[in-house]
Parts: sequence; structure tokens; C-alpha cells
Amino acid sequence: MSYLELAGLQKRYGGSVAVDDVSLSVEKGESVALLGPSGCGKTTTLRMLAGLIQPDRGTIRVDDVEITRLAAHKRNMGYVFQSYALFPHLTVSRNVAFGLEERGIGKAEIARQVEEGLALVRLDGLGGRRPRELSGGQQQRVALARALVIHPSVLLLDESLSNLDAKLRDTMRHEIRSIQRSLGITTLFVTHDQVEALTMCDRIAVMNRGRIAQIGTAEDIYERPATRFVAEFVGRANALPATRDTEGKVVLWGAAHPVAAPPQGAFDLFVRPQRMRIVSASEPTGGETVRVTGRVLRSVFVGDHVEVLVEGAGGQLAVEMPSGTTAPTEGAEVAVIWQAKDSLPFACEAA
Amino acid sequence: MTGSRRLPLLLLPAGIFVLAVYVWPTLLLLRNAFNEVGPTGAMVEAWSLKTATETFADGFTIELTLNSLQLSLSATAIALALSYPLSLFLFRTDSRFRGLLAVIAILPMLISGVVRVFGWLAILGDRGLVNTLLQSLGLISAPIKLVFNWTGVTIGLAESIMPYMILALLAGFGQLDRTLEEASRSLGASPLRTFWRVTLPLSLPAIVLAAGLGFVLSMSAYITPKLLGGGRVFVLATEIFEQATTNTNWPVAAVLAIYTLGLLLLLLVVSNLLARGLKR
Ligand SMILES: Nc1ncnc2c1ncn2[C@@H]1O[C@H](COP(=O)(O)OP(=O)(O)OP(=O)(O)O)[C@@H](O)[C@H]1O
Ligand SMILES: [Mg+2]
Repeated sequence: MSYLELAGLQKRYGGSVAVDDVSLSVEKGESVALLGPSGCGKTTTLRMLAGLIQPDRGTIRVDDVEITRLAAHKRNMGYVFQSYALFPHLTVSRNVAFGLEERGIGKAEIARQVEEGLALVRLDGLGGRRPRELSGGQQQRVALARALVIHPSVLLLDESLSNLDAKLRDTMRHEIRSIQRSLGITTLFVTHDQVEALTMCDRIAVMNRGRIAQIGTAEDIYERPATRFVAEFVGRANALPATRDTEGKVVLWGAAHPVAAPPQGAFDLFVRPQRMRIVSASEPTGGETVRVTGRVLRSVFVGDHVEVLVEGAGGQLAVEMPSGTTAPTEGAEVAVIWQAKDSLPFACEAA
Repeated sequence: MTGSRRLPLLLLPAGIFVLAVYVWPTLLLLRNAFNEVGPTGAMVEAWSLKTATETFADGFTIELTLNSLQLSLSATAIALALSYPLSLFLFRTDSRFRGLLAVIAILPMLISGVVRVFGWLAILGDRGLVNTLLQSLGLISAPIKLVFNWTGVTIGLAESIMPYMILALLAGFGQLDRTLEEASRSLGASPLRTFWRVTLPLSLPAIVLAAGLGFVLSMSAYITPKLLGGGRVFVLATEIFEQATTNTNWPVAAVLAIYTLGLLLLLLVVSNLLARGLKR
């Protein structure tokens, strides 16, 4: 049994289902991201965990104790809200002390732990301020410190970085990650930002329409997406409409490829743009390589890579080339190659 | 640009209106306060403080003031105790009927004060709803006096100021955010502790605002003390009316009116300062 066990959680609002069926096991000290599009039920899942709403079905267990119906204030979960939810009428110190005071800890001990908590998020010396006298990033860190000082059994972070600018967000990601690691806090991290999920977590649970579509390491999810949704949602991918020939091999852009097609139904071939390479049209290719030919529509320099759009017999595809390599000129006839194992066939969704 | 330049123009109609029906009569009142009353009871034009000094030297004025303050205080306290939980509920409910419920809560505002008093007489009178019920239950043998005394006036006043206080509370609850209460609970505070540590402090400015308003309205109320008091309840408002009409003693009425106005202004300023200080 894992440290945190969610089994068959469901939450309905009237006729609509916010969370359909979520089961998840998290080990002690592990950090798991809940990644998914807006409205897929991430916040609802977290709120059920924190006891702020009651699930209609399913159970929650922490450390082998069922807490499904336990009142929120008895759960000892550290919840960092998306909006920070700092108490405007209390100073930063009192905000951080709030949970400790509720636990009946002595004054001196509280003062010491608050100091420690603020130092942890590098806010020493700002304890006397009011929340609104802080920047967004500082408020964020106060919220984090407030949740951390109570030594939560599980830390719940709800898109807690989405209000910050790109640079601060990056810094905060690393800060939270290192705090989480050094304190060994079991963490659930809600986000719809993939980079955040990839950099902050040991495992990622990709959610879609109230269910977990796939759970695994970043590599699992990225390299071996279980469903079409995961392949589309995580990372970029070319979805290339393909057909099958009599031998059951994939036919793409009019040429047969050494990739097995799914047995029936219309399907697309998913290929990551970074896995594709552009070579001159005349260059021959080996057996396990997929090769299509086309004409360069345009090349766009995007900073860390160059994006090349190629048009061929069956449509368009995008190739990401590392910047520094010379991009082919527009209108050039080229071949695009990738390894057969990088092709992922997924059935088209029923219309 | 044009907006700010047009603004004074837009204020003109309201300005003229206020000037005509409020500022001008107040100035007349002020003028009257310096007049004197002759031995025959007729008003004598003068510029003296005689009326004022005599009025304030009279022990009855002090008594009236204390009566007014005490009545307003208890009416406000009762109204607040009832309207605070109600407003909190209205503010937070997700019910589809929220709008309707809010309208119902402030509906009494639309009913004439006189009609409302008769309603209370039907409920609180010797043969009213309450006494009939208590008697038929055998809890009391003779009807208890609930109207034409302080009790009746307090109940009637509390009811009449409630809609205004509910509106003030609803408007003042701005800072109250349910996420904050959730944060408090997630940090280990029970619902009761959460109310005490988060909800109440954050709604304090609204409470002060509403209480200030209720108090001022009670102080200036005339119909309720007059009709529900049955001639036994004397407050500043009733006395001013008495002096101005029955006694046709305009100077005394004017002095008392200005005195009351001063008291109210003072109260408003204090409650505003308090509310602002709390918000900080
Ligand atoms: N109190 C509620 N009443 C009715 N429907 C709700 C309520 N809370 C959430 N929902 C619905 O449940 C679904 C899931 O909501 P949830 O807030 O969990 O999404 P989310 O994954 O956190 O999305 P986002 O990334 O936009 O925050 C949504 O369709 C939402 O409209
Ligand atoms: Mg959400």
C-alpha cells in the first residue's frame, strides 16, 4: 500500500461530472503532477483531498488510514491555493503562524518555526509586513511557508505558479522542488503547464475529462503516450493522416513505411517534431527509417530551435531543428526522416 | 477629459435639489434657533443664545438624549444580531433563489412606516398574535405588555432598520472571500475557530458600517417611537415634533433639531473612522 491512495474518486455537480473516476497511488516523499486541460477536474480532485468538498464515491487513504469523510481541519494537508488566500488582516508572520497556533504550540516555539519557515522560502525580515505589501512572488512564498510549517502529511499545490512571470516562475519551481525534496514531502502538484509538470515532479498523471489518462514518469508520458489525448496534450506532435496497405504496413504521403498499422479504422501517425531530421532529397535511407519528401514552405527561428514547415503529398508537417544548424531555404526539395520507433499510430477519434 | 469636465454639469440638478430641500431649510432652522419665545408663547425675532442655554439647562433634554441613545443602541444591537447571520448567508449562498431571498430580506423597506406599525400592533398587542398564542398555550394568564412601551418601540425600530443594515452588510462584505475560510480550515482551524479568526475580523468593517447606519436611523426615527410608544416613550425626535407642532415653539424645536443633527454627524464620523481604521 502506498502512502497516499485515491480509489475511484467521483464528484458530480448536478448533472455534470467534475471528476469521474480518479485512482492514484503516491509514495511517501514523492511528487506527482496532475496535468490536464482546463476543466478536467484537477482542482476538484485536490479539494476532495483537502476535505473542502465531499466525494460522491471513492475513498482517500493516507498512511493506511481512511480519511474520506474526515473534516478538513483534522486532515493536516498543506493546501497552497491558486489565489494564495493569505489572510489580509494578519501580518506575514501571523499568516505563517496560523496553522501552528491552531495546533496549540507554545509562543516561543511558534516564533522559532515561523522564522525557520520564512527563511526556507527566503523571506526573512519581511514577517512584519501585510500580505498586500508584498509582490506576487513573495505572497506565493508566504503561502508556501504557511503550508509547510504545519509539516503537512501531503502538500497540495494548485496552479500555484500561474500568476507569476516566466522568470520568477522558473525560480520558484526550482525552489519548491528543492524544498519538497529536502523535506521529503509527499506532494500533489496541479498544473496545466507541461514544463512545470516535467521539472517539478517524479511522476505525472495526465488527466482528461475527470479521469486519469496516463500516469508515469515524464519520459514514459512523452515517449510512450498511452492515448491519442496524451500524445496531443503533452509536448508537440505532428498528427499525420495515414492509411494501411495490404500487408498491414503504414502508408504515409503515398509511400509505404516499415511501421505496423493498427488493424482497423482510420488513424494518424504521431511524430514529435524534434525527432525528425531534414536531409537532402537525394540522400538514401536505411531500413528502420521513415522517409517522406516534400518542399520547404518556410523556416522560422524561434530562439532555441528553428521550426521548418514542410509540405508534401499528404499535407504539412513541422520539423524542429536545433538552432545553429543551417535551415534549408524556402522552396527547397528535401526529405524528412525519422526512426520507425518514433512513429506512434493512434486511431482517429470517432466523429 | 470631457468626462471630468461634464461631471459638474451632471451634478447640477441634484445640487439644486439638495440646496432647495435640504440646505435652505437647515439654514432657516439655524436662524430659528437664535430666536426667543416671549411670555405669551409667541416667537420673538432675536439673535440670542437664550433659547439654547435654557434648553440645555433643562434636565429633560438630558433625559431625552439618554433615552434616544439607549433606544438606538438596543434596537441596533438586536437588528445586528439578526441581520448579520442572515446577510452572511445571503452573501455566500449558491442558491438559485439568492436574488429573490435578498429582495425579500429588504422588502420591509418598501412598506410605509405607519403600515408597519399597525402590523406590529396586530402581532404584539394585548389581543395580538403573540399574547393569544402564549395564553392559549397556558404559558401566561394575563397578556404581557409588548406595545405602547419601550419593548414595543425597540422591537419595531429594530425591524425597521434591519433592511438598511442588511444592505450595508452585503455591500461591506467585499473582503470576505470563501477561499480564505477554506485556507483557515486547511490549516487546522475548526469552523467555529475559522469564524472567530477569519470571518468575523474580515467582516468587522461591514459591521461597523451597518451598526452606524442603524444607529443613526434609530436616532432620527419618529413614527415608530410615536405610534408604538403610545405616548409613553419620549425621545429627541418625538420631542422636536411635539415642540414644533403642539407647542408651536419653533426656537426650541430648532435648537433640539440642530443638537440632534450634531449628534448624528458626530456618530457618522466616528463610525466611518472606525470602519476605515479596521480596513487598514
Ligand atoms: N462548485 C461547482 N459547481 C458546479 N460545477 C463545478 C464546480 N466546481 C467545478 N465544477 C465543474 O467541474 C469541472 C472540473 O472543474 P475543476 O475546477 O476541477 O477544473 P480544473 O481541472 O481545475 O480546471 P482549471 O485548469 O481551469 O483550473 C469543470 O467543468 C467545472 O465547471
Ligand atoms: Mg483549477
